[in-house]
Amino acid sequence: MSTAIVRPFLLLPLLLLPLLVGTAASAPDALPPPPMVKPGTGQETVQADISTREIAIQSNFTGVEILIFGSIDFSDSRTPTGGTYDVITVVRGPNEPLVLRKKTRVAGIWVNGPANTYDDVPSFYAVLSSRPVRAIASDKALRSLGIGLSDIDLGRDTAGSPQEQSFHSAVIRLMEGKKLFQEDYDGVVFIGRSLFRATVALPVNVATGRYLVDVYLFRDGELASRSQGSLEVTKAGMEALIHTLAFQNPFLYGLLGIAIAMLAGLLGWFAFRRD
Amino acid sequence: MFQIYLPIAEISVNLVVMLGLGAAVGFLSGMFGVGGGFLLTPFLMLSGIPPAIAVATGANQIVGTSVSGTLAQWRRGNVDLHMGAVLIAGGVAGALIGVLLLKYLRELGQAGLFISLTYVVFLGGIGALMLWESVNAIRRQRAGKSVSARKSGQHNWIHGLPFKMRFPRSRLYISAIPPLVIGGVVGLLASFLGVGGGFIMVPAMIYILRMPTNIVVGTSIFQIIFVTAVVTLLHATLNHTLDIVLALLLVIGGVIGGQFGVRAGQRLRGEQLRALLSLMVLGVAARILIDLLVKPSDLYSLVPMVGGS
Repeated sequence: MSTAIVRPFLLLPLLLLPLLVGTAASAPDALPPPPMVKPGTGQETVQADISTREIAIQSNFTGVEILIFGSIDFSDSRTPTGGTYDVITVVRGPNEPLVLRKKTRVAGIWVNGPANTYDDVPSFYAVLSSRPVRAIASDKALRSLGIGLSDIDLGRDTAGSPQEQSFHSAVIRLMEGKKLFQEDYDGVVFIGRSLFRATVALPVNVATGRYLVDVYLFRDGELASRSQGSLEVTKAGMEALIHTLAFQNPFLYGLLGIAIAMLAGLLGWFAFRRD
Repeated sequence: MFQIYLPIAEISVNLVVMLGLGAAVGFLSGMFGVGGGFLLTPFLMLSGIPPAIAVATGANQIVGTSVSGTLAQWRRGNVDLHMGAVLIAGGVAGALIGVLLLKYLRELGQAGLFISLTYVVFLGGIGALMLWESVNAIRRQRAGKSVSARKSGQHNWIHGLPFKMRFPRSRLYISAIPPLVIGGVVGLLASFLGVGGGFIMVPAMIYILRMPTNIVVGTSIFQIIFVTAVVTLLHATLNHTLDIVLALLLVIGGVIGGQFGVRAGQRLRGEQLRALLSLMVLGVAARILIDLLVKPSDLYSLVPMVGGS
């Protein structure tokens, strides 16, 4: 149903396909694809990886910080602050449909009024960069790569709403409030001549699924190289068991809830009775 | 520290806070002989649990606390099984309607509003009536007159209805229709508000059915087990909104708190208890009403699409 939408970040690999010689379409769990070299901008390439390939949500989960690290090969920068290179990292969670509602006053009471449904809102979206992204590359380049909250693609929405722009920015503002959308222009730190690192905090309310981590290397405002990795967020242990049962066998799950409550009630009465 | 992740609500809560919330509500429910759902569900919503999950999980907690309550009442011979069965039959039908209604309202995005409005109307109405009645009772008592809620031997319109049934424990011979209707209304409220419905059922049984007060409390809490169990099952099956981990925390706190509440309640007089309870009911109603009237700090809200693929 989303065939009509042109997603820049999905199109890019297609454009570069001849250069990649098929390597970009590597298996999901394989190592990050080999760096690609854009002709005419030197030999530098970026390689990056993520500290955690798999995040398991268990009962003690309160959010997690992941580290994205990498290096620039064939760097011709002499000092870490030379400013020759810029790195932008984008972490994207799986898309999900969301409904945005605006409250209006009806007969003195605040009720949900106009609503807008967005089909494909990234459940998580973080941009980390070594400098403000607008200083690194042109708006056009950023837009084509899907970098930055102002250009974020929320998927198809129920069109025709006059407040569409205010709705769109409300989605971004609310997601930022939940720490699910993040922009950090000091998030990428260079260590030495060619190493860099970035940390992203995934909050407790992250969705499960596959997260894509893109690392873009810019030189003089031009994309010099990119590297893509991914990580998987899953529920594990007891949490996975409960979640699976609740959605795949809800009747049994409901009975289990009732049984546990009744047992607790019985035990409580037995422990406290006075005769 | 002590944070625990809730698998269905998908948030992390403090273990101690949730146990404490269960215990506090359990204490009050034991003290006043009510399920306590009308306090628990709004408190859960205030602490960030999504309304639909608060309703389903609240119902599950009441199953546990009403089991211990019923056992205590049962030993005193206060449960009318015949009346309970008729109330449950009506309650199950009402619960089914309520769960489907809530599902439909969630899809419209108006579930929160309707839950709040129903709370305001019912808590406000019942609380005001109870306060009026108990203050009058206290006043009459100070004047030295005897207090009796039940005017036995009086006949009213209830006795003109067909399908009469005998309820030996309550010493009643009345039509099955009023208990069925009362059960249905309570079942509807139970599924819609995540409450047991004791605060509706107790006055209805005393004033409409004219049952003896001690039998009313025992029978009410007995049928609440079944109605909230059905509500829990329906919400779990149709809406996937039951969080079993949260329910476990609340029920442990609730059962323990409830036992202490029963003891505290025995030191207070009936009219004083009712007056205190009515003030609390009115307080909750006022709090919910204020939330509806005051302009929210953010007019927009973002929720996952219900029933979406």
